[in-house]
Amino acid sequence: MSTAMEERDWTRSAGGRSSVVRHDVRAGLGMLIPAGIVILAVTIFPILYSIWMSFNDIQLTQNGFQFTFNGIQNYVDVYSAPLFWHSVWFTVYYSIVTVAIELFLGLLIALAIQNVEKLKSVSVVVMLIPWSLITVISAEMWSYIYNGVYGVLNAILQGLGLIHNPINWTGEPVTAVIALMAADIWKTTPFVVIILLSGLQMIPKDYYEAARIDGANGWQVFWNVTFPQLRGSIAIAGLFRILQAFGVFDLPFVLTQGGPGSTTTSLAMLGEETLFTNLHFGLGAAVAVSTVILILGACLIFLSAFRGMVGEEAQ
Amino acid sequence: MRKPLYQRVIGYVVLIFFLVVILLPFYWMFVTSFEPNSDISAYPPAYFPHHWTLSHYEEAFGQFHFGRYVLNSVIVSIASTFFVLVFGSMAGFAIARLPLKGKQPMLIFLLIISVFPPLVVITPLYMLLRDVGWLDSYQALIIPYTAFNLPFAIWILRNYFLQVPGALFEAAKIDGASVFMSYWRIFLPLTTPGLFTAAVFTFVACWTEFFMALVFNPDNTMRTIPVGIALFSGQYTVPYGTIFAGSVVSIVPIIVLVIIFRRWIVSGLTQGAVKG
Repeated sequence: MSTAMEERDWTRSAGGRSSVVRHDVRAGLGMLIPAGIVILAVTIFPILYSIWMSFNDIQLTQNGFQFTFNGIQNYVDVYSAPLFWHSVWFTVYYSIVTVAIELFLGLLIALAIQNVEKLKSVSVVVMLIPWSLITVISAEMWSYIYNGVYGVLNAILQGLGLIHNPINWTGEPVTAVIALMAADIWKTTPFVVIILLSGLQMIPKDYYEAARIDGANGWQVFWNVTFPQLRGSIAIAGLFRILQAFGVFDLPFVLTQGGPGSTTTSLAMLGEETLFTNLHFGLGAAVAVSTVILILGACLIFLSAFRGMVGEEAQ
Repeated sequence: MRKPLYQRVIGYVVLIFFLVVILLPFYWMFVTSFEPNSDISAYPPAYFPHHWTLSHYEEAFGQFHFGRYVLNSVIVSIASTFFVLVFGSMAGFAIARLPLKGKQPMLIFLLIISVFPPLVVITPLYMLLRDVGWLDSYQALIIPYTAFNLPFAIWILRNYFLQVPGALFEAAKIDGASVFMSYWRIFLPLTTPGLFTAAVFTFVACWTEFFMALVFNPDNTMRTIPVGIALFSGQYTVPYGTIFAGSVVSIVPIIVLVIIFRRWIVSGLTQGAVKG
């Protein structure tokens, strides 16, 4: 926030204004300073510094970090590593699949809450519990449920006759991805429910009344009244979730450790490993910067795809 | 307007199914934390435990450092929430009520800042903290947590400050109150719901944060709850009983918090959806 600049501009243009206004401006800038300094120091400066780092070879020596400018070499190295592209692909399909299922289930549950007369406030509280849960705890919980030797999921599935032999859920590539997605969907769908429920409650009752007078059935009401009115909430919930899903770290870190092999190594995990396990700071910065560009791109694609799908009015 | 019967029935069936799905894992963790190790690794497991024991709770808080992890989490989360409320309410007030230029760019800028993933800031911060010797300290987490939660708090609080009639501000000025005085004495008390909302969101975000806590504070005496739990299972077998005992203790206060503050959490999420 360019505080000094703005004050100068303002006082110049406000030459004729009373000193009271100028005093208010000065007070306002003073009140912005603490937040401004913290945000600049902890987010803006590190972001710019990360970009600078990604163009350097960085060695950790006894005298601290030694920077040697090496142009785009880090990016060349990162983009020629198959593991990077594997992580990009995993992160992308993981995010698309989980967010799509979460939006669908979230809508389903929100509509269910809207349609019942009792249980409404209890449901809202229950939805907030997974939202407030530490992801690491949910990962430990699911790792116990998924356990291949004594996990309760195998016991339930065997009891229902759906499987014959216990499955080592996090030990095989396909089941590990499914297990990870299911744990993520379990934890974050309730968040989507709360946002969509708020959206549902803001739809004017007259709309439903009018639709009923016109003789619309439940399905027609949903497609012609509820869904169009809910587009804004769906877009916001989807955007929030895409941002989080692309940065997925905590859950695979504990539940699968990125494995088996590197099947569930997300971009954030790859970045963390490059930076803090292998201490390749320049390469890690290149991974981080690439991840941010990918996330911003994903948001733009989601928003424009969503607009195209449901019409321009979705704001 | 009453919904048709079939809609209500479908609603109840769907809702109850998902409520059970959401709550069952919690039940499983809860009962497991009271089971002896032999029952924890029994297959097939007993859906209702035969033997109850408190030994895992004794291990977690006696032999291991869960008490310390909880204390660290409480200190870091409360301090960050405090700074977010102080700085965020001042900035939100200034943006809502004072004649500043460039408010719109400032708000958009805040929105963009709040979506950047921690991965891109974590290394420079790590190097900085390392240089000043602040790794494994409370401030190593309090400062970034404050920064990361400020944008949302400023947004929320700005919206609440806008709802307070502007005439009050003018009246206070005529009575000779300074800008800061009218913020402190008039506006802040009128926006307590906004402060609650910002506080709960910040507290939960700090309480659950893992990535920065893992990188900045790995020392066993400085770990927060998520780091303590994640690095706990480093041994050859995962001590689920102990982990779940510590988890249950760290979940209960948050659930109480959520029940008390549920209205403000929902309004915060709604505000984010409507005005964000």
